[in-house]
Amino acid sequence: MTTEYFRWTEYAWKNPDKDWQKADTLVAGIDVGSVSSQAVVLADDEIYCYSNARTGSNSPDSAKNALGMALKDTDIKQENLQFVVGTGYGRVNIPMSNKAITEIACHARGANYMGGPTIRTILDMGGQDLKGIHCDERGKVTQFLMNDKCAAGTGRGMEVMAELLQVPIVDVGQMSLDVEEEPPPVSSTCVIFAKSEAIGLLRKGWTKNMVLAAYCSAMAHRVVGLLERIGIEKDFTITGGISKNIGVTSRILKELKVDSVPLKPDPQIAGALGASVFARDLLLKSRK
Amino acid sequence: MSAIEKFHDILANRHQYAMDWKERTGGKVVGGLCTYVPLEIVYAAGMLPVRVLGTHEVQDVTDRYLFPTVCPFCRDTLAQGLKGRYDYLDGLAMGRTCSHIQGTFDNWRNYISTTLVYYIWFPCHRESPRAVDCLVGEYTGFKEALEKLTGKPITDDGLDKAIELYNTNRRLMKQVYELRKNEDPPITGAEAMEMVVTSQLMDVVEHNKLLEELLEELPDRKLDRETGLRLMMIGSEMDDIEFVQMMEELGCTIVIDEHCSGSRFFWDEVVPGEDRLAAIASRYVHRWPCPAVSSNFSDRFDRVLKIAQDWNVQGALVYQQKFCDPHEFDIPLLQQMFKEHDIPTLVLEFDVTIPFGQFRTRIEAFLEMAELEVL
Repeated sequence: MTTEYFRWTEYAWKNPDKDWQKADTLVAGIDVGSVSSQAVVLADDEIYCYSNARTGSNSPDSAKNALGMALKDTDIKQENLQFVVGTGYGRVNIPMSNKAITEIACHARGANYMGGPTIRTILDMGGQDLKGIHCDERGKVTQFLMNDKCAAGTGRGMEVMAELLQVPIVDVGQMSLDVEEEPPPVSSTCVIFAKSEAIGLLRKGWTKNMVLAAYCSAMAHRVVGLLERIGIEKDFTITGGISKNIGVTSRILKELKVDSVPLKPDPQIAGALGASVFARDLLLKSRK
Repeated sequence: MSAIEKFHDILANRHQYAMDWKERTGGKVVGGLCTYVPLEIVYAAGMLPVRVLGTHEVQDVTDRYLFPTVCPFCRDTLAQGLKGRYDYLDGLAMGRTCSHIQGTFDNWRNYISTTLVYYIWFPCHRESPRAVDCLVGEYTGFKEALEKLTGKPITDDGLDKAIELYNTNRRLMKQVYELRKNEDPPITGAEAMEMVVTSQLMDVVEHNKLLEELLEELPDRKLDRETGLRLMMIGSEMDDIEFVQMMEELGCTIVIDEHCSGSRFFWDEVVPGEDRLAAIASRYVHRWPCPAVSSNFSDRFDRVLKIAQDWNVQGALVYQQKFCDPHEFDIPLLQQMFKEHDIPTLVLEFDVTIPFGQFRTRIEAFLEMAELEVL
């Protein structure tokens, strides 16, 4: 079988210290993105389990798959979930969800949960979109800005580059930093143009690391442009799949001259986590 | 069939309507690019003025004629001509607005066969006290060209009648807009847009008749929907009904607008005067301007803010056709103005086709910013 360099490992996590049966509320958030899908189950206000899976060709199956993975090592059944909020690109097609809320609102809420009430600016770097989001101390969105329809500088573009250079996608970031001197960025983050430019650079004798450095820095530069349009207020944090690519994030922070608040347990679940927090709020509100 | 359904029907069959009109009346049809063609003069010549619009379909026929950096609306309109959808036109006129639509016009003149193709200059310095005189000169030439095409003179009586009919049209549409101030407007933004766009395509006598029917129907009309957030739409050319419908389905209502298929097109009337052409020219010089012909921001912005407040809007969708620089220059200032008055704004950039999924996310998130307060 040929290696699929773009492919990352799916995973799930379960909180070993929590007994969900003792929880008053048990809710879930499911984020079906364009590239990856996550499910988070919240027992009271604590994360009980979560998963991160690849999005398939249709939203309902991707949602089922992500939720199934999150629940796999637990004895929770879908009917035990008292409220489910769907979010992400496929949010309107999540069969088990009681309500759909946009990923913009959910990312802010999820980042607020993980990073605390001081978070004011969130950069979500997803598979297909880039979003700059401002929120208040409760994680409520006050302003946002999204990239246009092109996938330049998103996770999908990074996958194309990993395939072209035959570098496992999880290694891209570190390898891009492993250069003696920072090369000039590629001139376009457009996936198609950048790909032809990268082929040209390889032919010129550039190493893979240098090409990756040039691509990561072009992507970082594009993101900084988006963020500067909306403005950075501290604290700043990054969510989404690309937040795990140190080659891109370190260059963004360097250019912006700010630090980012690390999100624990996982910056990629911010959307699904935010959805689960909304689910809990909505459930509690319905009981009143 | 209700008046609203009739507008919808005519818009969907606009070419058929124009062709039927020709057959019914034996008159000629003149297409217009942008909204600076003096409709009164065309109508007084016994002709039907119709605005040339696009269809929002993917097309590649204009690639050889216009740069891809020309605004999508202008490419879309040229595509309609190239595809032969306006073959029934006897003439095409343009009142100068921007260089992009001029590209449409120039290519139409060179590559699409239409009997009369006429370019009406518009004074670059609209604010000049001599602007009206300048435009009267242009209108005189246009009037002569139309007379030559029909072989009949355009009389003062004819102009008076046309002025009266179009003023009535504007007044009636304003009355409909007034009803949109209601807490629960009896007409959606998409329906109101169909009303205005059809006024750019229909015989004004027939449109006025439908408006009178509409004004009888509206007071008793109850919409089976929540009004939701009251929004305003501001920007460049906009006749994408499907987009407005999608937007309103997400839980908001467009209660007022400021663009050339809405208020900006019909708001101002002609003040009749002894010199008919001067009266008409004065209307087009002093009308609610397209930013492409106006370098005076404050004049337009004051009007924008006033209708936003009068119609009690809770948010504004500011959109632009991609590459429409005159509108794009306005955006930072508009956003700033609205911010000072606590009206949140959402900015969207339109292309011939739009990414419905991503736009939907942005609009929903915008609505949630207001709605999720309750959580």
